[in-house]
Amino acid sequence: MVDRVERLTNLVALLLETTRPLTLVEIAGELDGQYPDKDATRRAAFERDKAALRDIGVPIEAVVLTGHQAGASAYWVDRDRYELADLRLEPDEMRALQVAVAATRPTGGQDALWKLGIDAVDGGVEITASVPEVAALPVLRDAAARRASVRFDYRGKSRHLDPYGLLLRDGFWYVVGFDHEHGEPRTYRVDRIDGAVAAGERGEFSRPEGFDLRAAFTTDPKQLGAEGDATVARVRVDAGRAAAVERELGAERIVARRRGGVIEVEVPCANVPAFRSWVLGLLDHAEVLGPSEVRAHVVDWLTGMTTTTRRKRSRSPRKAS
Amino acid sequence: MTGSRRSAEERLRRLLVMLPWLMEQGEVPLAEVARHFRTSPEDVAADLELAAMCGLPPFVDELIDVFIDDDVVVVGVPRLFTKPLRLTAPEGFALVAAGRAAMELPGADPAGPLGRGLQKLAAALGDDGVVVELPRTEALDALIDTVTDAMRRVEALVVRYWTPSRDEVTERTITPRQVFHDRGEWYVVADDERSGERRTFRIDRIESVEHTGEQGVPDDRDPLPVGEWFGDGGLPRVTLRLTAAATWVTERYPVDGIVELGDGTVEARFPVASERWLERLLLRLGNDAEVVEPREWRTLGRHAAARLLARYAGERV
Repeated sequence: MVDRVERLTNLVALLLETTRPLTLVEIAGELDGQYPDKDATRRAAFERDKAALRDIGVPIEAVVLTGHQAGASAYWVDRDRYELADLRLEPDEMRALQVAVAATRPTGGQDALWKLGIDAVDGGVEITASVPEVAALPVLRDAAARRASVRFDYRGKSRHLDPYGLLLRDGFWYVVGFDHEHGEPRTYRVDRIDGAVAAGERGEFSRPEGFDLRAAFTTDPKQLGAEGDATVARVRVDAGRAAAVERELGAERIVARRRGGVIEVEVPCANVPAFRSWVLGLLDHAEVLGPSEVRAHVVDWLTGMTTTTRRKRSRSPRKAS
Repeated sequence: MTGSRRSAEERLRRLLVMLPWLMEQGEVPLAEVARHFRTSPEDVAADLELAAMCGLPPFVDELIDVFIDDDVVVVGVPRLFTKPLRLTAPEGFALVAAGRAAMELPGADPAGPLGRGLQKLAAALGDDGVVVELPRTEALDALIDTVTDAMRRVEALVVRYWTPSRDEVTERTITPRQVFHDRGEWYVVADDERSGERRTFRIDRIESVEHTGEQGVPDDRDPLPVGEWFGDGGLPRVTLRLTAAATWVTERYPVDGIVELGDGTVEARFPVASERWLERLLLRLGNDAEVVEPREWRTLGRHAAARLLARYAGERV
């Protein structure tokens, strides 16, 4: 039996070269002696190879034949879908992409560069940034580019979305699109998607002309649902921290300047955990003024910390509270 | 024959990238091929020998015309695999996200090479509407520019820096070495004159900055790998018991060790920059975290919560 790499390479070559779809019997005939003779073991070996090739990105097409071979599956590789389109990158553009990958070090970035014929760089970049990675992102990007609808589970419900685009904001990835159930645009946090994203076929929808992802995100009042309707909280910040907060948020977020350097700022709070984390990070130098339900949420959180002793006692018997 | 530890898929994946590249190059020293693909010359040789054996009737054994002569890889008549395999979804995403993020870094020019490269990429990968925002404000931008500029010129800066863990502002002389963005914050890695160590500072916590005109020593060290950006010294440690909802902190902060306790609960040991740092962490984690050790910190979170609650004693709307 030949080496499996050799068999896989030959299989790719055969499926690329063939002028018509080939059945497994024909494939085994061409790759003489490389597949087992017995039908069941041959089929199992081929299925394993097919899965391996699809896994590394070889687009294997399949069709069920009619006529004298009716019912048999036949396979081929469409060269146009297999081959990377020539991007015609200029040397300085290659260098820029190389630096971009070196500055962010994304998973798969090096493999992508190799396919474009670009060497990877290991260091020497002055400014770097980390971009959060979530398993669902590649499928969502691909679906958005192909205008294919997606289905996924989110907070215990199944969703059907036409993905218009992806937005990385405040360290979180969001997918923005037209939600079929609600009949209007919606935003979902990608890291909260449960399980796999299933994408449909190319061209299932079209994105509205001039669609602005950032604008759609900010004007969607129920952007993250279920957490209440408040999108902006007012926070008072002590003088000692005012300068840092102003630098972080920008001067336009300051809604009042009080005596002694105290400021009041408006902060997005639709993402409640993120907001709570931010405001508590200021310790007792900040206070949520409103809306009342957001203030109450922070008070409840803190109160919970001062009163919950049941769990601690059961796990740390020595500790009295 | 080496390379047997690598899976067949892994070897094929590499071959389908390597062959078109070699055909483009014609002749390449074996060592250069290995360096380009970050692998060993032995693995490259093994894979190419295998490729040379591949074949289909009527071209048995001559499908791929490649041989190694005197440690130089030579490709003959290209017949098959002349073009690389298209980008997979993760690879496409990686390039797009990297490029768009780099475009948000200070100094990026949309009309420059990166902008042009991204446009060509979009033409090939489709108009996907991916937008990357790295938070910037005018004031922060000015600071990043100043710090980056000093880094390039290796100039020491005098900064007034707020340390949240001690809640105090100190004046320090720093020589910037590296600027980076991570999860919504901008940082500078710099040599700190006072401690004599390389430290990581958050740029938005720099209250003011003055040039010194002092030329520092150029740095020949490689930039810190991502995982070591937040180095620590001989800091005290805390062991936290974290519910599944709180385990994100083990990815965000340096951890010495993690023990899984089942049902998603873990115990993790963290270096503690200061008590103030731990207070902030405990407040943010609420009842999803509990101090296991040391004993004296077991009530730290509760006391901090009580102190904050005092601010909220009066009702407001």
